[in-house]
Amino acid sequence: MQVKLKKTEVRNKEFSYHGFEQLDGDHSFKKAVPGAYVEYQVRKRHGGKVVYFNFELAREMGLIESSHPDKFSKKLESVILDTFGIVIINEYDLIHKTKFAKEDIKPKKYMATRYLQLQHPCPTGKTSGDGRSIWNGEFAAHGKVWDVTSCGTGATCLSPATHKYKKFFKTGDPTISYGCGYSETDEGLSTAIFSDILHKNQHSTERVLAILEFEKNIGITVRAHPCLLRPSHFFNHLKQGNLEALEQITDYFIERMKKNKSWKNVPTNRTKKYDYFLEKVSHDFAKAAAKYEDDYIFCWFDWDGDNTLMNGGIIDYGSIRQFGMFHHEYRYDDVERYSTSIKEQKQKSKYIVQTFVQLVDFLKTGQKKNITSFKSHAALNEYEKTFEYYKNYNLIYKIGFAPSKIEGILSNKKNMHLVSKFRSAFTYFERAKSQRGIYKVADGITWDAIFCMRDILRELPQLLLLRNQEYLSAEEFIEIIRSSYAKKNDLKIAKERKIKIQQFQKYYLLLLKAVGRSCNTKVDKMLLEITMRSSIINKYERVTGDSITIITDKILHTRPSLQNIEIYEILQEFGSSQNLNPDKTKSKPRNGVKRSSVLYGMFKIVNDYREGI
Amino acid sequence: MKLVFYGGGDNQDNKILDQTLISISPSKKPKIAFIPSCSHFVDHEFVDFIKKYKRFNISKFLYFPVDVPFDSVMLRAVMNCDIIHLAGGNTFYFLKHLRKNGLIEMLRKFVARGGILTGLSAGAILMTPSIHTASLPDFDRDENHDNVKKLNSLGLVNFEFFPHYINSARYDRELLRYSMDLPYPLYASPDGSGIVLHGRIITFVGKNFCFYKGKKMSIKS
Repeated sequence: MQVKLKKTEVRNKEFSYHGFEQLDGDHSFKKAVPGAYVEYQVRKRHGGKVVYFNFELAREMGLIESSHPDKFSKKLESVILDTFGIVIINEYDLIHKTKFAKEDIKPKKYMATRYLQLQHPCPTGKTSGDGRSIWNGEFAAHGKVWDVTSCGTGATCLSPATHKYKKFFKTGDPTISYGCGYSETDEGLSTAIFSDILHKNQHSTERVLAILEFEKNIGITVRAHPCLLRPSHFFNHLKQGNLEALEQITDYFIERMKKNKSWKNVPTNRTKKYDYFLEKVSHDFAKAAAKYEDDYIFCWFDWDGDNTLMNGGIIDYGSIRQFGMFHHEYRYDDVERYSTSIKEQKQKSKYIVQTFVQLVDFLKTGQKKNITSFKSHAALNEYEKTFEYYKNYNLIYKIGFAPSKIEGILSNKKNMHLVSKFRSAFTYFERAKSQRGIYKVADGITWDAIFCMRDILRELPQLLLLRNQEYLSAEEFIEIIRSSYAKKNDLKIAKERKIKIQQFQKYYLLLLKAVGRSCNTKVDKMLLEITMRSSIINKYERVTGDSITIITDKILHTRPSLQNIEIYEILQEFGSSQNLNPDKTKSKPRNGVKRSSVLYGMFKIVNDYREGI
Repeated sequence: MKLVFYGGGDNQDNKILDQTLISISPSKKPKIAFIPSCSHFVDHEFVDFIKKYKRFNISKFLYFPVDVPFDSVMLRAVMNCDIIHLAGGNTFYFLKHLRKNGLIEMLRKFVARGGILTGLSAGAILMTPSIHTASLPDFDRDENHDNVKKLNSLGLVNFEFFPHYINSARYDRELLRYSMDLPYPLYASPDGSGIVLHGRIITFVGKNFCFYKGKKMSIKS
């Protein structure tokens, strides 16, 4: 039985931080997949301070006690700095025989993992992987294992720069940016903000546990997730035809899923076990791709399987964006190439699954076949079905139906006909683009979407209720749905558009009526329930990639006057305000948070950029 | 003129005030617009608001934040409601955005047409001639981050209102001092208490207090 402590007892309690000792470089991956990493001795990095520590995540992990308050103590800060304030002793240091104080060198070695990267000169992943990160270890508590890694801990031999320039770089070498092994505090802060919001909105994502800062805005970002392996950790072995390593990593991953109770009833038979693995991966990627598309999250899926976790979750926020509307022509400019667009994500994610089909076949037969021979594999048909299921699921959820009703709606043929008709009208408006055409933006190219679907989904049930289900006129409909990107010419109500407006409202109401009939509920009652849910799901202000960037700048600008606990509280408050889950418990505002200057400023930025990219 | 001033509190605290509100509505199933003081952290407030009035068999609600751009369709619908509720929050911020969007005059016209205007805490203060009381007491006041200088508000009544009143010397000192120069009374309502104005009849619900010319009086409901 857990004893609840009184406030004064909590305040005066000496908390133990022994959990941090688990994060000493040891990781079960080393023994399980011996060839899949490079090891480094690490040393203490002095002069750091803790900018951010995620108390909520640390409590969830069990890294700190559940009764630990959101409060820094000298002891806690010292433990965080001691555990994560490290830098690797890399090849450059060894070649140049750089001397380090003995007492600064940690006893155990830390690993940088190998994985495939499309931007890396080696297309088979022999020399690519964690270029500026190391794995602190794995943390186990409450029956769950977490991977913990740190970004900005020094230049490893797996960075693209090492191979491009054929030399090892000194950590912090100012002549090379990414390859220098450091990261900046703002990268960590924007990842902390973004990942917290996406986590609160039920996306699987890496989460920021801590941010440490050293001089000149150089930082270390500590990340945690129950499994930080990416498909690219598998694909390098596949590309190299290394069956032994592939089997080792696949078995290791399956064991982790079992250990964390993410997968249940995994078959023991070898063939069936790998089929199960494929089925799960296919399902997770289809579901994630549908959710990203419907939440307007731009995640750069590509053939290398980088930028995503094994369950389709998000890792590396460098190119992640959340759009305010369906800006489906936006492409990120990665200097040497343009990224995929949000619409192409599905195909790219499907290709990752196809690679897993090839991988599983290789594991089962011992022969690596060409990937094209799997283009009609049953797993890909299943992928399509799952993707379609979740596209419909997400749309119905966005309308405002409770999850408990959605499965019933989707299993009814007549309802599905209405869903499909409604989706067609919805998509027509969602994908409508401005007559302005493609143009350049700071980090890529885009072509503006012109209609804000959240606005109509939020206001329509309220207005239909008020008017006893009488449809909005075409002009009213456009007045509500139009965004600031739409110009006069974009808003013309031609015949086709008029029909779509009618269809949108017709099938919306017909669907409500059909669902109402099946659960013996009057349409007005359904509309009221949907009014409540959709006002949260489709709230006016929702963060976008641009707003996150500007908010990060604002926090950094304000930071000299903020204590680290205030940064945590502000981020927590802000994250809660972006939680669009109507089923969550209402969070009460925290006392004493500097809502005045910083938080309200952040809200204003969200409003100003809510329709952007 | 039909106005309801809520001193604060939750659904349970305000049962009598809510019942009184429904009783003065000419429509048995009134349409209600909920105007939050700001658009952040209020989505669940709107849901709670609906749940509260659902008990009275009311089913038509509009959600209308005024610190974000709004469309004319919603604005027309709001002004055609039977009841408009101004929610609690930062009074200065709320006034700034009502004024910026021309809603002060529209709300006056709404009341003049017979619409019922209700306000809780900040929303109630806004219905009076000025929002000075939002700066009281010094130890628990609304911050004027937006530096709102013109503090005159809807001016629908000739009294000022102080919500969340706690019957204590600390509060009284400030309210007594403030009331000295006021040409009209200052009514203070604790959570769960409030005032109903129906035509020329003023009804006090729960325990309320009046501060006038430096004197304090208790008002019984």
